[in-house]
Amino acid sequence: MKVSYNWLEEYVEKLPKPEKLAELLSVHSFEVKSVEKSNEDYILDIDILPNRAHDCLSHIGIARECVAVANSKFKIQNPKFTESKNLKTRDFITVEVQDRDACPRYTARVITDIKIEPSPTWMQKRLAAIGQKPINNVVDATNYVMFETGQPLHAFDYEKLEGKKIIIRGARKGEKIITLDNEICELNEGTLIIADAKNPLALAGVKGGKKAEITVKTKTIVLESANFDIKVVRATCRETGIKTESSIRFEYGLDPNLTEEAINRVTQLIKGKITKGIVDIYSKKTLSVRMRLNLSKIENILGIRVSKQQVIKYLKSLGFIINDSLRVTVPTIRRDIEIEEDLIEEIARLIGYNNIVTSHPFGLLGMARLNDELIVTNKVKTIFESAGFNEVYNISFVGEADIKKFDVNREGYIELENPLSIDLKYLRKDLLINLIKDIKDNSKTFLREDKAIKIFELGKTYRQENKKIEEERMLTGLIVRRSGKMKGESFYETKGLIDSLLNKLGISDVWYDDFQATPEWTDNIFWQRTETAEIKVGDEEIGFIGEINTTILNKLNIKAEVAAFNLNFEKLLKLAEEELIYKPPSLYPAAVRDLAVLVNLEDRVADIQNIIEQIGGELVFDVDLFDMYEGEEIPDGKKNLAFHIIYQSYEKTLKDEEVDKIHRRIIRELEKNKNWEVRK
Amino acid sequence: MDIGDLKKRIFIDLTKVKDLAELEQFRIKYLGRKGEITFVLKSLKDLSIAKRKKLGTEANQFKKEIESKIENLKSQLIKQETKTKEREKKIDITAPGIRIVHGHLHPLTHIMRKIEDIFQSMGFRIIEGPDIETEYYNFDALNIPQDHPARDAWDTFWLKTKPQRLLLRTHTSPMQVRFMEKNNPPFRIIVPGRVFRYESTDASHFYNFYQLEGLMVDTHISIANFKAVVEEFLKKLFGEEIETRMRPSYYPFVEPGFDIEMKYLSSDWLEIMGAGMVHPNVFKSVGYVPGNWQGFAFGIGIDRIAMLKYKINDIRLLYSSDLHFLNQF
Repeated sequence: MKVSYNWLEEYVEKLPKPEKLAELLSVHSFEVKSVEKSNEDYILDIDILPNRAHDCLSHIGIARECVAVANSKFKIQNPKFTESKNLKTRDFITVEVQDRDACPRYTARVITDIKIEPSPTWMQKRLAAIGQKPINNVVDATNYVMFETGQPLHAFDYEKLEGKKIIIRGARKGEKIITLDNEICELNEGTLIIADAKNPLALAGVKGGKKAEITVKTKTIVLESANFDIKVVRATCRETGIKTESSIRFEYGLDPNLTEEAINRVTQLIKGKITKGIVDIYSKKTLSVRMRLNLSKIENILGIRVSKQQVIKYLKSLGFIINDSLRVTVPTIRRDIEIEEDLIEEIARLIGYNNIVTSHPFGLLGMARLNDELIVTNKVKTIFESAGFNEVYNISFVGEADIKKFDVNREGYIELENPLSIDLKYLRKDLLINLIKDIKDNSKTFLREDKAIKIFELGKTYRQENKKIEEERMLTGLIVRRSGKMKGESFYETKGLIDSLLNKLGISDVWYDDFQATPEWTDNIFWQRTETAEIKVGDEEIGFIGEINTTILNKLNIKAEVAAFNLNFEKLLKLAEEELIYKPPSLYPAAVRDLAVLVNLEDRVADIQNIIEQIGGELVFDVDLFDMYEGEEIPDGKKNLAFHIIYQSYEKTLKDEEVDKIHRRIIRELEKNKNWEVRK
Repeated sequence: MDIGDLKKRIFIDLTKVKDLAELEQFRIKYLGRKGEITFVLKSLKDLSIAKRKKLGTEANQFKKEIESKIENLKSQLIKQETKTKEREKKIDITAPGIRIVHGHLHPLTHIMRKIEDIFQSMGFRIIEGPDIETEYYNFDALNIPQDHPARDAWDTFWLKTKPQRLLLRTHTSPMQVRFMEKNNPPFRIIVPGRVFRYESTDASHFYNFYQLEGLMVDTHISIANFKAVVEEFLKKLFGEEIETRMRPSYYPFVEPGFDIEMKYLSSDWLEIMGAGMVHPNVFKSVGYVPGNWQGFAFGIGIDRIAMLKYKINDIRLLYSSDLHFLNQF
C-alpha cells in the first residue's frame, strides 16, 4: 500500500525521518519496499502482511505501528461537527438488514444542502499522492476516509432512492445492476446488494451503481459505512469479476466497530446540514478479546528473558490495555490477536528478532539415522555420472500435442483442472516423453559422429487407476547415437550399464525376458518390439530396456538411434535394501577355455549360455561372451559367438584332463543342435 | 700361437663396438664357448709344460684384462643408452590429457546433497512426501483458513481426480502434518521435494520448483534455537562471511512468523526463507496437546539457493535439459 508521510505526521508525534521510519517498520512491522519523494511529501510503499490487512490498509493503522516502533505518541483527533436540531436522520431514511450474518453492521447518515464541487486542494493532493484520482467533494471524502481509517464508505444521492429506504438483501432472480463504470452486471440469485424499495443500488462492499450516483445535481446524500462478511464479499468478487479498494478491505474482515468512527470522520469533511442522529443496525456487538499473558511462556518461545515492564510497555504502545498481572484487553481493531502466541509475536517483533541472542538447542544430539533411500539414490546418481550420463530435471507435465504425437494411451493420465496452457494439461505418466523431447533440442550441438548423448532422470510419475492415485519414482535414461559401430551398440551399452548398476546395488538374480508390454506402467508405443527386453529380478519385473520406436523418432524428426531404460525406482529401492551376502573366493586356481560357436542369426546367446551352465554345473564359475560377429568370412544367415568359460572348483585344483573332459561334454551337447557348429 | 697378434686384433675390434648389442657379440666372439680366447685357453693342454706355463699365464691375464674392459665399456654404454632412451621417451607435458568421458549431475542435485549433508550433521532426518495432496493437508490442517485471502498466496493447480478433488502441493509444509500424525516429539526433520504453483513464469518464477521444509519440535525449542540452527546452516552453505537478519512475516501455520534475509556477495538483503514457531492449531490438528510441545518450522526455495550459489540468472534453465548448461556442473 502507498502511504503518505505527511498524512502519517498528523497522527504521530515526533515521526522519525522517512528513511529511518522505513527501516524501523521493515524490522518490526512490514517490509517497506521503497521511499519516494513526491513534491513536499514522501511516499512509502509498504507490503502489508495478510493478517494485518484488516487494520493496516489505512494511514491510521500504519500510524499505530509507527507509534510503537518509534516509541512515540498517538495524536488523537475526535471528529467535530454540529448536527441539525430539527432534521432527524430517521425521518429521512429507514434501513433494513435482511441477513445479519452477511451484514453485521450498517450505519448511515444524511447530509442535506450539499453543493457538489471539487474537493479542497489539500485533500486532492493527498489522494493524488497515493495514486487516487480526485472526483468531487463527496466521493473524495469517502475515499479519503477509507485510506485514513481502512473503512470503505459509500454515498448515495438521496433524491434517487425509491421509498426512502435502504434494504440490504440478496439479489432476486434476473435482477441487474449498472455499475458506476457503466458495466451491466447480471446478478446471481442471493448476491448481497444494497437496494432501495425497488431497485439494486450497489454491490454490497464492492461497487456502487449508476442508479443513485452522486452527480452535480445532487443536493442530499446518504452516507453508508457498513460491515460485510468476508465470504459474502469474496463471493461477489468471484461472480462479477470486480475487485475494488473497498472489496479488498472487506475480504480481510474488518472490525464492525470501525463504521461509526469512519462515518463521523467523513461527515466532518463534507460541507452541508448534518441531520440529527445516526442510523445504526448493529445487533451482535463485537467485544474485546481478553487473555492472560505468562512471562515464562514468553521466555520459552523467544529463548530470552523479557521483563514484565518491557511486556507492558510494548503492548501499551500498540494500544492494548494491560494491567500489572498481565491481563490484556485486545482492541477490537486487532482481529488477528486471538491467542497468547499472537501477543507473544507482538512482543517479539517489537524487541526485534535480530536482538534475540542465538542459543543452540538442548537435547541429546543423536546421530541422525541415515536414510537408506537417500544412500541408494545418491549411489545410483553417482554411478550414472561416472558412466558419462548427464542428469536432467524435466517438468512434471505433458501437453495435448505430446499425447497425440507419441500416440500414447490416454488411460491413467491425470488431467489438470486449471492448466497454465494446453502444453501443460496432464501430469506426466512416464519420464520418457520429456526425455525424448530433450534429444531434439540438444542434438544439433551435442550429437556428433563420434559422440553419443547420454541423459537420465530420476523423478516422479503420476497416474490414476481405478480411482486410486499412484505416484511412483522412475529412473529413466537414454543413449542417443547417430549410428552405432555394431548392431545394437546402444542397446548393449544400456544393458551393460543396467547390469553394473544392479550389481553395485547388490541386486542379484537379474535376467532379461522377452518384451511383453504391461500397459499400467509403460506404454508399448515407445518401444521397438524386436529390440526391447524386460528387466527381471527373480520373478519380478523391474523395468525395460530397448530401442525407441522409429515411428516416434521419425515423427519428432530425430535422426538417431535411441536406446532407453526405464526402471521402477520404488522396486529398485526395495531390492537394494536387501542385504548383500559375501561369498569368499575359491582357494583353488581357475582354468579358462575358449569356445566359438557358429549359430543361426536368430539364435540367442542365452540359449548357448544356458547349455554351457547346465552341463558345466558348479564347475563353471563364469561364462563371458567376448565376441559376437556376423558379416565377412561368416556364412550368410549365421553369426559367430565366442565365449571365455572359466572353470573353477571350491574344493580342489582342477586338473587339465578334468577341465577338458567337461569342456568336451559341453561341445558334444551344443553340437546336438544341427544348426550349431562349434569351431575348433 | 701368437697372442700378441690376437691382442692387437681384439683391441682394434673393441674400439669398433658402438652399443650393448655389439658388445655382447664381441664377448661371444672372443670369450664365448667357441670364442677365440676360449679356444686359446683350451688349446694350452696340447703344449709342453714350459710353454703352457708361460703362455697360460699370459693368456689368463689377457682374458681378465679383456673381461674388465668389457665390463667398463658395458657400464659406459648402459649410461649412454639410458640417456638416449630418456631423450626418446621425453613427453610434451603441455600437450592435452586424454579425455575421460564423465557425466554431470544436475545443479539441484548438487545443492540438495550439500543441504542434506549439513542438516544430517545437525541430527536432522530426511523424509519425503507426496506431490499430489488433499486440500486438508495442503491448507486446512495448516491453519490456512478457507475463504480468506491468505489462501490466495498459494496459487494452486487443481486436478480432475475422482472421487476426491486433489491438488498439486503448493509447498512442502503438508509433510509437517503427515509426519506429526505418525510421530511423537522430540524430532528434527527436513523434507525436500517438488512443489507447484499456478503462476506465470519468468526468470525467477516457474510452475514447478523445489522446496525444503524443516521442522524441529521438543518441549523448549525457541526462536533463539531456530536462529542458531539456521545461522549454522547458512554459514556452512554460503560461508562464514555472510550476514543474516530477520523480520516479521506471516504464515498461517506459524506464530510468531518471520522471514530470514541474507547478505551474500552483495550489499543487498535477499529474502532466503520463511519460518516461525509452529502454530498451536497445527499441533491441535495432528492430535498433540498444544501446551506440551513447541518448535520451529521453516521453508527454503532450493532453486533460489542453487541460483544464488551458482550465479544462475534464470530459473527456467534448471528445467531446460540444455546440455550447454548442465555440462558446467
